[in-house]
Amino acid sequence: MTLPTFLSSTLVLGLLEAAPLVLAAIGFTLIFRLNGFINVAFAENITLGAYFAVIFNSILGWNFYVSIIPATLLSGLLSVTTYLIIYRPAFRRGVGKTELIILSVGVSYFIRYAARILFGNDLFNFNFSSTSYLKVFGIGVTNIQLICIGLVAVISIGIYFFIYKTNYGEKMRALADNEELAMISGINPTKVSLLIWFIAGSSAGLAGLFYGTFSFVSSSLGWNLILIVIMVTIVGGIGSIRGALVASVFVGIITSAVNLLTTNSLYGEIVLLIIFIGILKIRKARV
Amino acid sequence: MELLLSGYMIYSLSFLLIYIALATILHLQFSITGIVNFGIVGFWGFGMYIFALLQLKLGMPFVLAIVLSCIITGIVSLILGSIILNLDDQAVLVGTLAFATIIEYLTTTEKWATNGVMGLGTIKMPFDFGPVTDLVFFLFILVCLVLLILYTAKLKTSSYGRLLLSIKDNEVLSRSLGKPTFRHKIIFFTFTCMLIGFFGALSAPLYNYIFPRMIGPGITFTIWIALMLGGRTRLLGGMVGVVATVGLFDYFIETVVPIPTEYAEMVPNFKFALYGLMLILILMFRPLGILGDRKREVKR
Repeated sequence: MTLPTFLSSTLVLGLLEAAPLVLAAIGFTLIFRLNGFINVAFAENITLGAYFAVIFNSILGWNFYVSIIPATLLSGLLSVTTYLIIYRPAFRRGVGKTELIILSVGVSYFIRYAARILFGNDLFNFNFSSTSYLKVFGIGVTNIQLICIGLVAVISIGIYFFIYKTNYGEKMRALADNEELAMISGINPTKVSLLIWFIAGSSAGLAGLFYGTFSFVSSSLGWNLILIVIMVTIVGGIGSIRGALVASVFVGIITSAVNLLTTNSLYGEIVLLIIFIGILKIRKARV
Repeated sequence: MELLLSGYMIYSLSFLLIYIALATILHLQFSITGIVNFGIVGFWGFGMYIFALLQLKLGMPFVLAIVLSCIITGIVSLILGSIILNLDDQAVLVGTLAFATIIEYLTTTEKWATNGVMGLGTIKMPFDFGPVTDLVFFLFILVCLVLLILYTAKLKTSSYGRLLLSIKDNEVLSRSLGKPTFRHKIIFFTFTCMLIGFFGALSAPLYNYIFPRMIGPGITFTIWIALMLGGRTRLLGGMVGVVATVGLFDYFIETVVPIPTEYAEMVPNFKFALYGLMLILILMFRPLGILGDRKREVKR
């Protein structure tokens, strides 16, 4: 492989890899910024987003693009439900930061294995009405992957504008920075929190769905990703959406470069995790 | 009595002891020193694999292999500890989880050493006493566990234990009183991870054959739920928790309750879903576990 082809392949494959990660990282960052804890159960939101799409697309036989909409809404609702039933009561009971993470691990296991009981251990694939193969810089991609990248770009720009340019985004950032001050200024914390958890859940669901289009849907889909998502969020700057975006693309490119150089795809993850532990140290992460 | 002494019972009970040991070590790390170790299975699996490799590839005798695997686990945890232990809890949690994931992946990819998913074996028992070999090994693990629990009990009343508790409760205050908290954390973390590696090495002969999927995150989660359920502030919390979780599911339900074979593969799913639910309920309604007090500790 010559150097130019290596670089272009790395770039294309890296962007493909990064596209769903961007969505997942944005959603994770939103919750992290608002409530300040690592929500491990976010992994299950990613998984169930893919499963919801499987229900509409593979089981009920809807068109893939149509089934994106109910799947996204349902994953948003799931996120809001976990917030209302578990996390909000936990905040009120004064559960500590570390305990909250352990709690979210419990939620994660509960949802994952409940999903496994419901859906079985089978792997699911999406049905696409038409798949065509294209070449971008000499790399074979499907039209579905290109559409996914386009959708990811549109959605992430949308969320970005929502958080940084609109009234609600400002309220959310105010609430994240200082809850009491925000409440004095007349911001309704419940309403804003619900909205944020809904957006975060929806983008998690979308991320899972797009991951499903690249390979298959299984109950461990989200769990296999969550460590990278957490790392991207911490490395990308605590609760910064811009940072999460940059870090996701960086992750995608590193993974695809390592994958092109070695035969086993696990090496990519190993290299990433080692780099991340190093960055944790360098940044003296005060998460 | 015959059932109790049968090979399978001894085997299950030996693993119960290993789990209790791991939960007790987590009690040392999390409840006494405040180190949020979410990579228990990583150290355990590391010790197990190093032991197996030393014995199978280099033909080392049992004692030497166990000592060396403890030392190597210690060196690795010293390096990891010096990187992450002066960061905050969330970073420690993510760092140790990442470590365990790296170990799990490496055992899969490094086929030249570990045989990958094909598994590494056969790891023999260190001695041969004919039909009672398993029983003797079980008693050996039991002695190690009792020693560990005695050490933990002693530590809690010693001045060193109070130093570690002070690090957990208020590290800044402890440091301002002149205690080198970071150094103590690293040393204690290394020591306890060596203990985890030790029990990992002891698990290898029990398994005979070891596979990468044995060292998945499910074990870490099980240990955490056991400690939380039993009572994280209590010496015997880990033991009570392990009996109520692993004992109930892996031992009682799988051996005593008749489950039709077509549902057998669903049991782990129900088990983990229920573990998750239990963990949620404990943290919400009884944060200090079965043995603990009802109320949440008041932060002053």
